Amino acid sequence: MCPKLSFLPRVGQVPCISGTIRDMNVAVCVKQIPDPAGELSLDPSTHNLVREGKLVLDDSDSYGVEMALQLVESAGGGDVTLVSMAPNGETSGLRTALAMGATAAVLISDAALAGSDALGTARVLAAAIRRFQPDLVLAATESTDGYTGTTPVQLAELLGWPSVTFAKHVELGEGLVKVRRQTEAGYDEVECPLPAVVTVTAGVVEPRYPSFKGIMAARSKPLDELTIADLGIDPSQLGAAGARQEVVSVEDAAARQSGEIVVDEGDAHERVVAFLERIKVL
Amino acid sequence: MDFRPTPEQSLLQEAVAKVAAGFGHSYFQERARQGAKQDELWSALGDAGYLGVHLPERYGGGGMGMAELTIVCEEVAAAGCPLLLMLVSPAICATLIARFGTEDQKETWLPPMASGRLKMAFAITEPDAGSNSHRIATTADRSGDGWQLTGTKHYISGVDEAGAVLVVARTGTDPTTGRAALSLFVVDVDSPGLTATHIPVEIAAPEKQFTLFLDHLSLTPDRLLGTEGDGFRQVFAGLNPERLMGAAIATGIGRYAIDHAAAYARERSVWGQPIGSHQGVAHPLAGAKIELELARLMLSKAAWCYDNDDASAGEAANIAKYAAAEASLHALDQAIQVHGGNGLASEYGLADLWGTARLLKTAPVSKEMILNFVAQHSLGLPKSY
Repeated sequence: MCPKLSFLPRVGQVPCISGTIRDMNVAVCVKQIPDPAGELSLDPSTHNLVREGKLVLDDSDSYGVEMALQLVESAGGGDVTLVSMAPNGETSGLRTALAMGATAAVLISDAALAGSDALGTARVLAAAIRRFQPDLVLAATESTDGYTGTTPVQLAELLGWPSVTFAKHVELGEGLVKVRRQTEAGYDEVECPLPAVVTVTAGVVEPRYPSFKGIMAARSKPLDELTIADLGIDPSQLGAAGARQEVVSVEDAAARQSGEIVVDEGDAHERVVAFLERIKVL
Repeated sequence: MDFRPTPEQSLLQEAVAKVAAGFGHSYFQERARQGAKQDELWSALGDAGYLGVHLPERYGGGGMGMAELTIVCEEVAAAGCPLLLMLVSPAICATLIARFGTEDQKETWLPPMASGRLKMAFAITEPDAGSNSHRIATTADRSGDGWQLTGTKHYISGVDEAGAVLVVARTGTDPTTGRAALSLFVVDVDSPGLTATHIPVEIAAPEKQFTLFLDHLSLTPDRLLGTEGDGFRQVFAGLNPERLMGAAIATGIGRYAIDHAAAYARERSVWGQPIGSHQGVAHPLAGAKIELELARLMLSKAAWCYDNDDASAGEAANIAKYAAAEASLHALDQAIQVHGGNGLASEYGLADLWGTARLLKTAPVSKEMILNFVAQHSLGLPKSY
């Protein structure tokens, strides 16, 4: 048996092979966001989402957590480490993912992170992930509160790893990951050497509910809080000061147009087919 | 004094809410109308360990207490799925077995109850002994080295979906008081000599009510739970959890009602502005919310008292049950009123909960018996019955 891999730091450690068991270490980028079911508002001066108060695990990240848990289970062993960034020390969303079964969590929490753009976020996540060199990084295709969808690929670039986006199915091979990548027409089958960054779509797997045992076990799981000084990142590259992206104005979304009602006068099926062809569903 | 839930209680609340939301009131309503059960919901709760949060870990439980079980119960009800059997199987029966059972009994019954695979009904009330357990006439006579059970039980919930029933029976007479000496027995529902007859009630719930006829039903000695003749005192250990769970179902229904009413009052507009901007609508709903939050606060305190063996646990559980049943009915009534004619429409999912909410004013302990308790024990007034 290979020894249980210690959590942090694990720089340069190579996954060990013992018989058929190969520990698989997966990092999952998770975001804690304001509860979408609650009252949400934008800061009038920065136009950023107000993130004070309780944050919850972004639902879109629960798919990555579940995927990671399944991959580690199928590999026969390994760790699932959550990596998250927040301007405050909020951990309740991470606790949810730990209760689902993740092994440990790293939270990079620093007042200097407030107002970071996607690239700033990717810099922080990359620095944290370099410390423990996972075999695979999973992330959602985009967050529910920001929707830029750019952080994972920026993260891959900073790590110097390949990335595969929009995965609807993920499985492991020897030293590689096999991905069915969602496309407009269907899906591509992609093989990619590890380590790699893969973004998963909502619905790629059915996220488990935290069991009560999982909830109680989460109490004693390691949750490391790091500052940007711990990661050795230049603060001028981060936060609002380092952001290359600025939201200059915000407008209400256009009210949705009322739909077209098709009254069946014997030709409804043809008109519905024509409509579906027009919007390229057929 | 700290009113915050622990991080684990918050996680539990969120997790149960998610599970229950996957079912929801329309599922509950449809199943109840068809006379079908909520087996998938019950299994989902059991699989995740939520039905045994209060039971010892070595018997498949979560090792916590009634604070956690009431959270589970309230969240499920707040999703529009009030499960009355939660106050019977996990709260009364499993609590009594965990407290008074032998090692064998605990190993036999608790793991399947914690995982939701086994439901256990509870049979105490009788046609001539409603709230007066001293008058219980169902008798367990010695028969060989076991027992023979004969008598009638009334308003026993969920016998058709239970695997076993915990029966309270007379095993003698207390020589000093002349009152019944009671004992507890675990009876399989398919035992020869057990007949259950459905009692139709006007409650749109999955749990049905039954009259239970026990006719010379033979029991092996291992079916006696706890000490022979000590059943009256033992039953009391299960009644506070039952009251807490009755309160939790009620506050859950109250939350469901107020959430729906507030959402409707924010959206519905017939005079050019949301009806919630009219104080005639807003104030009664705000009042109902205040009453509900007071009841929830009392429920939290009562669960804490129970879990910490506080001397006021009984009083607190009674007060919580009273306050919750009143607040829940008021909230549901007000929610129906806010909805106008829609309040009675099936699709708005309010009026069908009336029977369950109203039941909780009568059972598991009536409003009047709670007032008796508080008058006598809290105020030191003479016993009235």
